[in-house]
Amino acid sequence: MAAWQPPAGWRRISAVNNSLIGKWYLLTAFAFFGFAGVLALLIRTQLAVPDNDFLSMRFYNQVFTLHGTAMMFLFAIPIFEAVAILILPEMLGARDLPFPRLSAFGFWCFAIGGVFVCGSILFDAAPDGGWFMYPPLSSDPGQTGIGTDIWLLGLSFIEVASIAAAIELIVGVLKCRPPGMRINLMPLYCWYVLVVAGMILFAFPPLIAGDLLLEMERAFGWAFFDADRGGDPLLWQHLFWIFGHPEVYIIFLPSIALIATMLPALSRAPVVGHSWVVLSAIGVAFLSFGLWVHHMFTTGLPDISLGFFSAASEAVAIPTGIQIFCLLATLLVGRAKLSVPLLFAGGALAVFVFGGLTGVMVAVVPFDYQAHDSYFVVAHLHYTLIGGMLFPVFAAVCYWYPFVTDRVLSERLGRWSFWLIFAGFNITFLPMHWTGILGMPRRVWTYAEEMGWHGLNLTSTIGSYILAAGIAVLAFDVLRPKGRQSPAPADPWGAPTLEWAREVPRRPWGIRSVPVISSRYPLWQQPGLANEVLRGEWFLSDSPDADREMIVTDILDARPMFVQRVPGPGFVTILAAASLGAVFILATFHLWLAAVLAGAVFLVATLRWLWTGAGGLPSAPTRDCGRGLVLPLYASGNGSVGWWAMFITMIGDSTAFAGLVFAYVFFWTLHGSFPPPGTAPPAAVTLWLGTALLAGSWGMLVAASAAMSRRVVALCCCALAPLPAGAGVAVLAGAAWSAGLDPTRHAYDATVWVLTLWIGAHVAGGIVMQLYSWARLLARHMDADHDAELRNTVLYWNFLIVQAAATFALIGLFPLVSGGVP
Amino acid sequence: MRYPRIIDDGSVWIVIVPPLIWALHFLAAYWIAAVWCAREAGSLTPAAWSIIVLTILALVAISLIGRVAAVRYGGFTRPGRESAGDTQADRRQFLGHVALLLCVLNAAAVMMTAIPSVMFGRC
Repeated sequence: MAAWQPPAGWRRISAVNNSLIGKWYLLTAFAFFGFAGVLALLIRTQLAVPDNDFLSMRFYNQVFTLHGTAMMFLFAIPIFEAVAILILPEMLGARDLPFPRLSAFGFWCFAIGGVFVCGSILFDAAPDGGWFMYPPLSSDPGQTGIGTDIWLLGLSFIEVASIAAAIELIVGVLKCRPPGMRINLMPLYCWYVLVVAGMILFAFPPLIAGDLLLEMERAFGWAFFDADRGGDPLLWQHLFWIFGHPEVYIIFLPSIALIATMLPALSRAPVVGHSWVVLSAIGVAFLSFGLWVHHMFTTGLPDISLGFFSAASEAVAIPTGIQIFCLLATLLVGRAKLSVPLLFAGGALAVFVFGGLTGVMVAVVPFDYQAHDSYFVVAHLHYTLIGGMLFPVFAAVCYWYPFVTDRVLSERLGRWSFWLIFAGFNITFLPMHWTGILGMPRRVWTYAEEMGWHGLNLTSTIGSYILAAGIAVLAFDVLRPKGRQSPAPADPWGAPTLEWAREVPRRPWGIRSVPVISSRYPLWQQPGLANEVLRGEWFLSDSPDADREMIVTDILDARPMFVQRVPGPGFVTILAAASLGAVFILATFHLWLAAVLAGAVFLVATLRWLWTGAGGLPSAPTRDCGRGLVLPLYASGNGSVGWWAMFITMIGDSTAFAGLVFAYVFFWTLHGSFPPPGTAPPAAVTLWLGTALLAGSWGMLVAASAAMSRRVVALCCCALAPLPAGAGVAVLAGAAWSAGLDPTRHAYDATVWVLTLWIGAHVAGGIVMQLYSWARLLARHMDADHDAELRNTVLYWNFLIVQAAATFALIGLFPLVSGGVP
Repeated sequence: MRYPRIIDDGSVWIVIVPPLIWALHFLAAYWIAAVWCAREAGSLTPAAWSIIVLTILALVAISLIGRVAAVRYGGFTRPGRESAGDTQADRRQFLGHVALLLCVLNAAAVMMTAIPSVMFGRC
């Protein structure tokens, strides 16, 4: 078990254990929360009295933009990842998550990107275009300065961390459950994590695509959002809100999941309607993707389109309501004691239901016409987000504090903080409904006394300080030294989930031994299980090779499949995160050469990370896990966790690609003729040739995979496959070039070029992977039975070929059938 | 040893398909209306009729899935059944129940999506 020990001293930062990464993630996210909270107090102070000049107008713009940005991107979303990394493995009876270094990489990306974005305010360079950064304000470098670039590139970088966490968590839930934990026995928290991580995969990539387009326009003058050149600022709103609305549920669902996990322990009863809650999680996840236009009701879209989105916005209230009723029913049938976590959970339900009801109001188009961009919306969104996220997270902090620190929080301070927060919150935000109805627009720097808003604003400001005082009390209680306190009992809440079958003091290896699960609430329904686990009587209680190992099971019935070796601490992930961060940061300042150099460092670091990871040939074919369970030590193809990670990554990647396709089709809908009159599309024959060359490269890779038993053939195929790939990209770019397309001239040219660029960048990545497979084969890290890397590369290329074919169909064939040049 | 794949009998595809039908129906309705309104800007009747036909198709598809789900679950309503046992049958019933509930939810959502096309005469 010594293999799991993190390094000591300053080298501790190279640790990858989920217990440490999760804690750092959580603390960093809360640090950003504190920062954004101070910004909120500055906003409230500025608005306390009419005609105030406490903050300059310019600085005020930066403050509210950064407040929204930091709360959303640096707190609300990362806190989900942080909590999941911290508690999910233990809840699943796993040693760790399947890719610990990916968690560490994600954390460092988040920390570096967050400091970069927040730090900008110290240099008067913070983004100031509002947290949804609408063009044409944001696409004009003359009107919005470097802050917008910091926002675009800094947040793109942070989204890498979110997607990394999503991949990690999906594979964790699907493949790392303890033996016997069939999909019907999985805790609700895991269902929510699965659903939310899936949502991240489909919601974030459109924003990344949008960021790419907006930054290309800002940095190089490509025409996407400029109406004079065939672009349309509304495209940004579509791409942003396809991300932005599901994001609200990405924030809300994991927090409801925390309540659903705590409630059985706090009310001593199983959750009422387990399958109903699963239904509503999945239902909300899907429906939430049909709501994005309700942020755009006043943009002049056809009424019937608004009707569709209004209908979906009302429909999502059904599954959301089901969850709330299930939770209330659980409280009713159980014997709840009003502990501090339960207070926060109750506060969450009350506040969220209030915000949900105003949500139903603003989903009604005529009402939204009145309330749009007013303080009514500000009140609504804070009710949903603070009720739907902050209160549950505070409940979770109180509930899982003993799990993380072996100490308990003070009951008295907890009650003080709850009532201060609850009262302060309502005093702050309830009056804003009236301020909005009275016509106060959001984001105004100040207002005149004649408007009659000052009494309500002053009340809000007083409330915000009470709210801040409550949060300060909680923060004090969490951070104050508790050295003299005796350790908390192992399971202070009498909870049913596996994470409480823990050792006190906490150990770095997750669970002591991996048990067989046969019930939904194992610590309640399988008596004696915790002690058996702690005595190491179950599987994998030790590793003869002193490796970090975990059991991988199948998706449906959690039958043990193989033992996965996972890598230990390393600085290479920090180097990879820092160099990738440098690429984004240097690009912000248009230092292109330095950015390319940083990119090269990132590539080398990533390749080293992969090469030295735990994927090589195992020392023995099988591992005896104890109790007569003997499992293979290696898997490749769709049994392995790496294959699933690649599959999930490429799903997300394809969604970003779909964002670009959406841009093309959006412009086509908008223009009478797309390509515009006088512009010839790239020659279909040339595009066909380029795509065929890419297909040839893919075919050679498939041949290499099929010929693994004949090593020389496989080596030749891998070594030669990059040639047609490179040639294919050159031909594709040549087609756009020879058609005379200039991306700064018209949205058509820009869209064709950005699609070509996308395919080119992916082929470049694909060539690196082909050469990597070749090198692994050459170094005999792969053979006929151990070919995981090659099969993952083939999977990547499968997706790439589909994207290339779609690009060919869109650029080459679509203009022929849709009437390109009139 | 072979493991049941997630697309095999008794597995998760019936859970994913009903919301997917809703999503496809929703996108189709949105695109038909958007393209129609961008190009024609006149009467909505042809677009509305195509949306109504799509709605009927979507509802038929959802009810077919609902039938499969009900067979898995073992009926339409079985109060008190928790499907929390440690058997393959429990897992099948559980996923059947979730799928059945999703069919109901998504059928409602599909109908709600169709309402505007019946209500609006013009873009």
